[in-house]
Amino acid sequence: MSSEILLRFGLALGIIVLGVLAYRFINRRMLIRAQNNAPSLFGKSPDKPMIVYFTTPDCIPCKTIQRPALDQIRTLLGGNLRMIEIDAYEQPDLAQRWGVMSVPTTFLLDSRGRARYVNNGVARVDKLMEQLKAL
Amino acid sequence: MASQTLQKVDHSALKTNQIMIISLNILAFIFNLPILAAFVALVMGIGSALKIPGFGFVYENLLKPRSWMKPDVLDDNPEPHRFSQILGFLFMAGGSAALFFGSTVLGWSLVWLVVALAALNAFGGFCVGCAVYYWLARFKLPGFTKQPPAGTFPGMKPKVREGV
Repeated sequence: MSSEILLRFGLALGIIVLGVLAYRFINRRMLIRAQNNAPSLFGKSPDKPMIVYFTTPDCIPCKTIQRPALDQIRTLLGGNLRMIEIDAYEQPDLAQRWGVMSVPTTFLLDSRGRARYVNNGVARVDKLMEQLKAL
Repeated sequence: MASQTLQKVDHSALKTNQIMIISLNILAFIFNLPILAAFVALVMGIGSALKIPGFGFVYENLLKPRSWMKPDVLDDNPEPHRFSQILGFLFMAGGSAALFFGSTVLGWSLVWLVVALAALNAFGGFCVGCAVYYWLARFKLPGFTKQPPAGTFPGMKPKVREGV
């Protein structure tokens, strides 16, 4: 009985680990897609960290939270950061190629153009600053 | 996108429901207790009938009063979440029935499918049942009238909080 429970526990653990790995794999793939499509936005290399911000005109949290947060970041970092804003309604193909599922979505790329972070949903100033520092 | 009236939906109650479903189903599997899986199905069925999250009472009576879990009230449509629970109930009922009739592989597969979908919702913020609801709404199926909140991908958790 107890060995059967142990076996089932092991199976459950294995299934959970597989699920977590699958989730991480999907996130990783999203970053790879971003990285593959990034050169179309800035050429060979952006030379400085970059935020690619996907939004839509009717996105309320974009206007009330994400836009002010990005403005604050821009003020803090000035010319040390590039920022590209993309209207997902105007450029649905681009949003699809980057794997964007909701707005706002922000991608953070390092100065060599490698996609390092993706934030699905609102990313506040402290979180973005933390990610930018880690680039 | 057509304008529509959204309601206040407490996503903490939904999340509690999902975590209870995940936990109890995993326990049912580990201890080989089809009766526990059937209990989860029953609670989900009752929740569907009453149009509330089945295990929402755990949140309302235990977690919320003790501030162990804070309300996460968002402007959202409750209907897709109800539909999602009905789908979960059907899978759980089918899984439980299969277990009682001796189809253990089919039974536990259905139970694990519900666990996976609930986990995707609880930890990934993506409600597959809601996405199916919005997909059916696009085909103007009777009873499926709601559109996703503005700026939200069908099935994803909305980001607009109460009062924003």
